[in-house]
Amino acid sequence: MLSRLVLRAAPAALRALPPPVAVGVLHTTRTLHTTQQSLAPVPPLPEKGGEVRHGLIPEEFFQFLYPKTGVTGPYMLGTGLLLYLLSKEIYVVNHETAAAACILTVIVYAIKKFGPDVAAFADKLNEEKMATALAMKNEAVQSLQTAIEDEKKEQWRAEGRSYLFDAKRNNVAMLLEANYRERLLMVYNEVKKRLDYQVAMQTLKRQKEQDHMIQWVERNVVQSITPQQQKESIAKCILDLKALSKSAHAVV
Amino acid sequence: MAGRRAALKAVDWAAFAERVPPNQRAMFNALKTRNDALTARLAALPEKPPAIDWAFYKANVAKAGMVDEFQKKFSALKVPEPVDAQTAKIDAQEKETAKSTAEYIQASKARIAQYEQELQKLKSMIPFEQMTYEDLSEAFPETKLNKEKYPYWPHKSIADL
Repeated sequence: MLSRLVLRAAPAALRALPPPVAVGVLHTTRTLHTTQQSLAPVPPLPEKGGEVRHGLIPEEFFQFLYPKTGVTGPYMLGTGLLLYLLSKEIYVVNHETAAAACILTVIVYAIKKFGPDVAAFADKLNEEKMATALAMKNEAVQSLQTAIEDEKKEQWRAEGRSYLFDAKRNNVAMLLEANYRERLLMVYNEVKKRLDYQVAMQTLKRQKEQDHMIQWVERNVVQSITPQQQKESIAKCILDLKALSKSAHAVV
Repeated sequence: MAGRRAALKAVDWAAFAERVPPNQRAMFNALKTRNDALTARLAALPEKPPAIDWAFYKANVAKAGMVDEFQKKFSALKVPEPVDAQTAKIDAQEKETAKSTAEYIQASKARIAQYEQELQKLKSMIPFEQMTYEDLSEAFPETKLNKEKYPYWPHKSIADL
């Protein structure tokens, strides 16, 4: 009966104990929303949960008892408590105990064997979600940056419009100038053509007159050569030739 | 004479070509070929036609007075300069485009400001690993679940699943 009183008093006593000591790697109590910046994003969860021994009892308990009872303290406490419960029949051993033992064995074995794989699988699922979200965010950032650059480029392009109008004006000026020059050239060519025609006509006429005259003179001269004159001229030619051949022999 | 030789402004075709957007390349090429053709045509023509040697013609042409008459008429002839109707239009076009370009640049700057803002928001976002679903709804309002319209899970129309 006294034991039951102790059992009932235990939780109250435990609540009165000071809060667990925060030690390095061990589980720290997270003080949330206590400072001014209560709206700040919650700091990330710790990577690993608090350390436990034998999968059940937190490490803090052992540390708590260590100063007084050393390393074996909590085990002694546990064994004593267990023996007490069994011997005083506060915990009654019945068929449920056997069932519990089998089930717990199986569960512990299964967890030890398949636990890490399942954990990895779950982590992978989460990773994939994160990766998709991150990829989307990066894509959005990228597209925004390219959009900004494109806009800047378009602005730069629009500044070049003065080139276009200069080129157009140049075109127009060149066209006008070319047209004017062509007109001048045309006038010159036409006048020159007419004058040249006159000159050419004159020269042609002159030439024709000369040719005709020469031919007429020749014809008359040929007609006027009588046979007598022809014989005399041939005889003279032969004499000249003989004289020439004599002088040629002499030279050779 | 004053309107005749409007000085040709040197156009930097290389810089011009850089600024042409790809969808207007064809027009630019057409303009350039036109310009080149005109330049070639202009270069082929002499600035002044050669002078006519009146003394030679006076000595050689027999018809009396013909050369004198020609000379008189030739020196009196004034070739009209072609009228420039396009430059005014081009100037008007230029003013118009200046205005529309200014507007476009304004709009473009506004767009850039908007993009910058969104970029800033994305960059200063907390990493996904530290987000709760509430934070996600804040950062990306489109993911916010409409609990008024769809009070029962999954808080969105079945088609959106």
